[in-house]
Amino acid sequence: MTSPVVTWPEDAASMSEGERDVHVRFMREALVMAELALKTNEVPVGCVFVHDGKVIGRGMNATNASHNGTRHAEFIAISEILSSSTPKHHPSILQKCDLYVTIEPCIMCASLLRQFGVRKVWFGGGNERFGGTGGVLDIHLSNGRELGDKGEQRRIESDYEVSGGWLREEAIVFLRRFYVSGNEKAPEPKKEKKERVLKLDVEPVVKRAKVDG
Amino acid sequence: MQTTRGKLHPLKTALEIRSCDKLVDFYITVVPVKQSNTVLKIVRQAIPNDGGLDIQHLRRFAKLADLPPEVRATIAAARHVSPTITNTDTGEEEEGVGERVLLVGSINASTKDTLTELLAPVLETLALVVIQVPFLTPTSQEQATRWTARFWPTVYKKSNLFGPHPSLANRAMESIAGEVENWLGLAEEVAADAHEEGRGERVGVVVVERIEGVGRVLAVAADARWLDWPRETNGNVSAHAAMRGVGIVAVGLKAKENLKSDTLSASSASLPASIFRDEPIGETERAYFQPSDKKGYLCHELEIYCTHEPCVMCAMAIVHSRFGKLVFRRKMQRTGGVCADGELGHGLFWRKELNWTMLGWQWCPDGEDKDGEGAVDVNLNA
Repeated sequence: MTSPVVTWPEDAASMSEGERDVHVRFMREALVMAELALKTNEVPVGCVFVHDGKVIGRGMNATNASHNGTRHAEFIAISEILSSSTPKHHPSILQKCDLYVTIEPCIMCASLLRQFGVRKVWFGGGNERFGGTGGVLDIHLSNGRELGDKGEQRRIESDYEVSGGWLREEAIVFLRRFYVSGNEKAPEPKKEKKERVLKLDVEPVVKRAKVDG
Repeated sequence: MQTTRGKLHPLKTALEIRSCDKLVDFYITVVPVKQSNTVLKIVRQAIPNDGGLDIQHLRRFAKLADLPPEVRATIAAARHVSPTITNTDTGEEEEGVGERVLLVGSINASTKDTLTELLAPVLETLALVVIQVPFLTPTSQEQATRWTARFWPTVYKKSNLFGPHPSLANRAMESIAGEVENWLGLAEEVAADAHEEGRGERVGVVVVERIEGVGRVLAVAADARWLDWPRETNGNVSAHAAMRGVGIVAVGLKAKENLKSDTLSASSASLPASIFRDEPIGETERAYFQPSDKKGYLCHELEIYCTHEPCVMCAMAIVHSRFGKLVFRRKMQRTGGVCADGELGHGLFWRKELNWTMLGWQWCPDGEDKDGEGAVDVNLNA
């Protein structure tokens, strides 16, 4: 897990080296959770919540083990934060937390984060199929309402900032490793397993103007 | 459970909502019936393949009498001012006898000059006018009728490019119609319990499995956002009714799996502390909790009946869980994630880009269309 960063996200350009290192370090912690998911036959997505520079909760996807399609990494981590600490954290702690997640939060999780009021989301790979912070909808901005032609975004309460592309190549390769071996729980695979080939090169990110805070 | 009568209204998909207003500018012209074939032939040569537009939902020729008054007025005006019109300008009573109006083509596919040049030799009187016509095919007979009255004779072809196929949706609706009130009544009941006991908002869901046409409850769940939770801000977001319904079904599946591998330790006591409220709470929820007999994948093809339109999170949770049908009673105009015609417009029950779509209805009781006792704050995420 010590491979160098392949490409920097756009947002990194204006940051000092020290600042970038902080985000990379937390994203690596999220990737550790994704790897754990992969080893336990779950869709490899992992995350950590950071409060005051410290990780206070970790999560990984657990949909297969739980038979519950909503047990995404973000839910697991929030559950840990709000139920496992002694003394218990007050739910409002999430408003002072940054989330680092290997793949862009889906629409469901983006809404969860909005309703709990998380401060900022840092993610690795974009999620064109289900993404709720730019991939498909912009739940982090005005709950995804379509805005007028003005272009200017009016920030409303519980909007949060998003920065994508952090260690995205590694996050995407994890996902590919999983789908090559096949999600054995999902019905009717589209392709025979032996036809699947693991691709290790990750296409460069296409500029997606929507994904910035 | 009290019985009221009501009706299921199919939800409109995001694509249906967005496509319904789309109009394009088309040339039309009056053609004597006898010359209609000749003229159409010329038009087809001038604009091959209708310029790439699909206009099969629009009548090619229409009688003047069948056109909306505005279109007739436009044509009449064009004829009055057009110097080439001389013979048929005889007033309302005889309007259009022996004539048809031809839908020529999109204004982007050809120019007025080109068309005039081609058609003038065969048409004694040529009055090309531009009108607006619906760009996309209608998704219901009502829509076709409305468009016919407003724009141009439009045909409904009993298909829906932008949502579930109508015959499939109708059959599905018939399969549940007789039971909807019952399931929604049960959802109302647990919602009221949770509200009275202070566990949650007055929101409830019922999850139903249908085997050979017969529906059976797998789980009943009410909102539990205030259970063991500080009563501030939004409460326990993960304990919305729909999330709990999904969670309770999952617990049922998990118990079955554990039973099979003879580890009978699946009791909730052995679970680590969590914020999830995946066990049935209260008498009604416990009485109706009955895991499926089938070895299911998540909530694949199950039905969910909701007292209120689920929020964005719950709507997407229902999609992730692969439900087949969704019915709700009260639309949440500001916060709902299911409908495409609410403030958010997400229409999550049926979006082509997501990997799962389902059928969705709002159930409206007869008479005054009120929310009844179950009204909640308009800003609530149900």
